Amino acid sequence: MLSYILRRIVATLPVMAIVALFVFSLLYIAPGDPAVVIAGDQASPEDVERIRQSLGLDRPFLVQFGSWVWRILHGDLGTSIFTNLPVSAMIGQRLGPTLSLMIVTLLLTIVVAVPLGVVAAWKAGSLIDRVIMGFAVFGFSLPVFVVGYMLAYVFALELEWLPVQGYTPLTQGFWPWLENLILPAIALGCVYIALVARITRAAMLEVLQQDYIRTAKAKGLGQGGILFIHALKNAAVPIVTVIGIGIALLIGGAVVTESVFAIPGLGRLTIDAILRRDYPVIQGIVLLFSFVYVLVNLMIDVTYTLVDPRIRY
Amino acid sequence: MDRRTVLKGLAGAGGLALTGGLSAPAIGQGAAARTLRFVPQANLANFDPIWGTQYVVRNAAAMVWDTLYGIDSSFQPQRQMVESEEVTDDGTTWTFKLRPGLKFHDGAPVLSKDVVASLTRWAARDPMGLMIKALQQELTAVDDRTFKWVLKQPYPKMLYALGKNNSPCAFIMPERIAQTDPFKQISEYVGSGPLKFAKSEWVPGAKAVFEKFTDYVPRQEKPSWLAGGKQVMVDRVEWVIMPDPATAAAALQNGEIDWWENPIADLVPVLKKNKNISVDIGDPLGNVGSFRMNFLYPPFNDVKARRAVLMALSQEDYMRAIVGDDNSLWKPLPGYFTPDTPLYTEVGGEILKGKRDLDAAKKLLAESGYSGQPVTCLVAQDQPITKAMGDVTADLLKKLGMNVDFVATDWGTVGSRRAQKTPPGQGGWNMFHTWHAGADCVNPAPYTAIRANGDKAWFGWPTSAGTEKEVASWFEAKNLDEEKAAIGRLNKAAIDDVVYAPTGFFLSYTAWRKNVSGVTKGPLPLFWGVSKSA
Repeated sequence: MLSYILRRIVATLPVMAIVALFVFSLLYIAPGDPAVVIAGDQASPEDVERIRQSLGLDRPFLVQFGSWVWRILHGDLGTSIFTNLPVSAMIGQRLGPTLSLMIVTLLLTIVVAVPLGVVAAWKAGSLIDRVIMGFAVFGFSLPVFVVGYMLAYVFALELEWLPVQGYTPLTQGFWPWLENLILPAIALGCVYIALVARITRAAMLEVLQQDYIRTAKAKGLGQGGILFIHALKNAAVPIVTVIGIGIALLIGGAVVTESVFAIPGLGRLTIDAILRRDYPVIQGIVLLFSFVYVLVNLMIDVTYTLVDPRIRY
Repeated sequence: MDRRTVLKGLAGAGGLALTGGLSAPAIGQGAAARTLRFVPQANLANFDPIWGTQYVVRNAAAMVWDTLYGIDSSFQPQRQMVESEEVTDDGTTWTFKLRPGLKFHDGAPVLSKDVVASLTRWAARDPMGLMIKALQQELTAVDDRTFKWVLKQPYPKMLYALGKNNSPCAFIMPERIAQTDPFKQISEYVGSGPLKFAKSEWVPGAKAVFEKFTDYVPRQEKPSWLAGGKQVMVDRVEWVIMPDPATAAAALQNGEIDWWENPIADLVPVLKKNKNISVDIGDPLGNVGSFRMNFLYPPFNDVKARRAVLMALSQEDYMRAIVGDDNSLWKPLPGYFTPDTPLYTEVGGEILKGKRDLDAAKKLLAESGYSGQPVTCLVAQDQPITKAMGDVTADLLKKLGMNVDFVATDWGTVGSRRAQKTPPGQGGWNMFHTWHAGADCVNPAPYTAIRANGDKAWFGWPTSAGTEKEVASWFEAKNLDEEKAAIGRLNKAAIDDVVYAPTGFFLSYTAWRKNVSGVTKGPLPLFWGVSKSA
């Protein structure tokens, strides 16, 4: 297993290199020029050109790419064109809020969606099942920003239970940390909960029709034991897969959620960097996200072996 | 016990287990009251006011770096860091003396050598600075508090240049920082202004923090824009970046922020209904809406085509698209200068007044030789103002019978594409939309967009000898009457040649919690005199 994990990690390197080349090329040919944004409306074309030169943007593509790769190989993600701060430091500043949001959303999803899916499967065809699946459709259909605004209006403005915006690091206390994340996590989690609940239901329905479940019932095993010990464990592979794939959804959804709730995370940093054409920051974030995707896939594969001992690598 | 307290208690219990008892620091009411939380118009993405010239950078810089002079609310330069100045009778030698006791945030005194280095860097980037630099014989420090600027010929607008509030302002920095290449960014943010920048707390895109500089010695005069006594009444000013207007509105209503620089028009009615919030016009100098036509290529290389567009456009359509139904927020603008300022004029603006004449405009367009070629219209969709104007223009051009190639894109792309001088079909363009801060349109000194010196002019590269002649007349004017006369002639010449199409003058609101007092109107948010109660 260990050698498999190592092989997978090594295999990520060419994937990341290809992604890096692709992203770098895409940015190079995309319209827009950070020097123009920096120089402002009053600047002359000569001023803009001098800024381009000082940033090295006038150099040929291969020279720029080569220099970027060389820096990456030395562990340097470069310096932001706009803030003059190291990209790694900027990503570091933003990682905490995004990770916090993802963790709370993930926990919320697992705690809410899996039991809902199990109950829906257990009561398949009943009113409870239809209500749960109805909510799932609702969760799927509403965009994150609509749910976000609704939650902020009800729970922040009307009831005054929770704040509208912002992020407080965990080091400043659990509640200050959590209270800023509850509404965004619910907003971001809606689609995710709906997805996981539906997949859980489908996987459970399939398992509940298996012979060994009938045998377990015949042996007089309790309903909870059948559902959560026998059935859920055997239905776990697709559920784990969808939870893992859902992390990709979370990264995408975080961009909107972080804007709606003014959370200073990586999603907002990405949008800001793209709008300003802050190339080093965009490249750094894309590399990070690529790595996260590869890592998540690896974790899913490893988790398979834990939930289903028949799977071996 | 309310529900929020119960929630806090429950979460606290859970948190105790997970974090080993970490708890929130107690922030007393007093401390909260001494921190002013402000939502600026945009993200403070860099912090070198000479290298980057965005308004948001200028606004933050005005807190941290002081200027030698400051423009007051009557558009007059007043002494700020300067104690006195002398100019020789021939107008060529200016000798300035600094106020005693000026200190930088690192404790070092402000010396003449700092001023010389700062002015040298500023003059390399600022249009007025470049004019002075072209006349410069020498700029030297005479002693620690005295410096001298010797010119080859007089520059009557010297004090205005040193105190002007449009980017880049002549901010004074320590010599070691000011010696940075003006085309490279500084990385130390040490000023001598009333607030210090807390670099360690800076999260670009999210937060910027400014702390009161206790060693700052304000002038004794009453504050007026960038002039007078800059008394800071709070300990900290926190800029909280909020890209989403709905979130900013909710946070202001909720008391999570204290002051929102520019609430969007759609949300103002909601804010006005809230008894805890004050809403008023923020910048009385407002903004001038604009679209620029490219003088280099057909159809707008012909003045008849440009005039046809002016003849047909309705400023009311543009303004309603931008500000909605609030009539108090806009004015028609038959000219180029900021309404309610000393040099405002409507001379020559007849073509923009009265009923719109589409038929006459079509006839004029036909006379220009326009034969249906595509008109490439660049519109930044990520800026609500340009998007609204772009939609109106597309409709206008279609009504005129033009073949519109509507390029809906983002501001970054417009910013770089508009610099292209190639033909529209080869990456160039025919027209793009923007707007100018009214503070930049009060006179020709900061007004890049009014210049019409062909290749050297702003994007669109207008050529208008009459306009340029009157710009020079204004710079040479010896008194207000001469200035007014020159501006009248300038306005007429610029409209005759359609240097650009003004789409109207519009204002925007600012909003703050009622426990904040001292918010004043100005061309930029001014933090001196602003206090906050618990």
